Amino acid sequence: MDTAGVPRRPAAVSTIGAWSVLADVVHGHNGRDLGYRVLESFPAGYPETLPYIATGIIFWGLLTGCINEGATVFISAEAFIRNVPTPLSLHFYRMMARNVMIWCFNMAIYVVILIYFELLPGWNMLLFIPGFLLFLINVAWISLAAGVLSTRDRDIPQIIANLIQVVFFLTPIFWSPANLPSRPAFVTLNPFYHLIEVVRAPLLGVAPPWMSWVLCMGMAVAGLGFTAYLYRRAHSRIAYWV
Amino acid sequence: MAHISIENLTVEFAVFGANSRSLKNQILSQATGGRVMSGIRDVVTVRAIDGLNFEINDGDRVGLIGHNGSGKTTLLRVIAGIYKPSGGALTIEGRVGALLDPTAGMDAESTGIENIYLRGYMLGMGRREIASKLDEIADFAELGDFIELPMRTYSAGMFARLAFAVSTAAQKDILLIDEGIGAGDAGFRKKAQQRIESLFDRTPIVILASHSESLISEFCSRRVLMQHGVLQSAS
Repeated sequence: MDTAGVPRRPAAVSTIGAWSVLADVVHGHNGRDLGYRVLESFPAGYPETLPYIATGIIFWGLLTGCINEGATVFISAEAFIRNVPTPLSLHFYRMMARNVMIWCFNMAIYVVILIYFELLPGWNMLLFIPGFLLFLINVAWISLAAGVLSTRDRDIPQIIANLIQVVFFLTPIFWSPANLPSRPAFVTLNPFYHLIEVVRAPLLGVAPPWMSWVLCMGMAVAGLGFTAYLYRRAHSRIAYWV
Repeated sequence: MAHISIENLTVEFAVFGANSRSLKNQILSQATGGRVMSGIRDVVTVRAIDGLNFEINDGDRVGLIGHNGSGKTTLLRVIAGIYKPSGGALTIEGRVGALLDPTAGMDAESTGIENIYLRGYMLGMGRREIASKLDEIADFAELGDFIELPMRTYSAGMFARLAFAVSTAAQKDILLIDEGIGAGDAGFRKKAQQRIESLFDRTPIVILASHSESLISEFCSRRVLMQHGVLQSAS
């Protein structure tokens, strides 16, 4: 019964997620430490920084939400999978739909910020549509692959959760590579940077670099192929593994 | 015509130890040439169903009996399509409905009506089919105005009645039931009995796994005894 995962429950809880992180940045977290330093690292100050960080957090939340929940998507639906003959992909689609709904709530932050700072992203904003599509496709294959592998080897969800924390610091969310003297390899070769860039940049009125487009498309094709192969191979075993 | 034909069906489970389900341990074992974490590849295989041959025809009421772990539930799961058999052939004609967990799909935060839909979808019903049966299900569950309230406000009996009412509303060719179904107090039990009978009457094939002799002798026309995954006797 508790495996139902109807959107209502998690949505009601986690709409606060991105909002509270944002509040930390503005008011300062732990005695104004984090928030202050983050803002100081941006010479432009609030009007440029806040929209950048807020949009970044919103999409980072969607990305990590899907991957972390994706890792346990079959494991947590165990009772369900063993008793109800439904396609396995159902559990995956439910997880994705739930996270996209939560993201929709969080996008209210973006709208508020646009209005408050009187920002007008312009026509570049339309690039968000293909960008978000690419973003979702990539997040989807990573999540499904994580789900299949985690069902076989049960320590993978923890490994993924730890990796994501490390990647968070290497990915420009709270900081901008524009403020670094040169662009380090962990940014240019960081797939998560490019994934965030194709959605964040259009929403801030900037066209994402062509390099990000190419990498995201390449990842989508290679990743979908890999996950399709993995899923086909493991598909009939998942009911036994859960 | 509903029909199930089972030929030389075999189902094997790979039983992993805790070590063989850890990526870290597998890497450690590889890196040390198997000296650390040895035994990691030891995967025991358990044969849950072993060379089963069986025919079920239209009109059969099959009672599956046997001890715990004899393979009853596994067989139901194979027929439901949840487990893919590791050997043999399974041919099924007709739509299969599984009542292995009568509450699967229900959500405590949703209202009674929403839960009728949720549970209905899990049973393979469409939106229109559920809508046409909605009133009848709500009436049968005797929930009154509670049907509009979230299910977490229900008593255990109300919850069981609702789950039972939806589960028994399905129209399938082949019905798989594990450990019987039923719900409620003495007054409701009589109604429930009639509802199960009418469900059985309109379903061409019913397979019921149970430990209860009385249930099997009351509802079933055939008895199948299983032991350690092997068919012991069938009538």
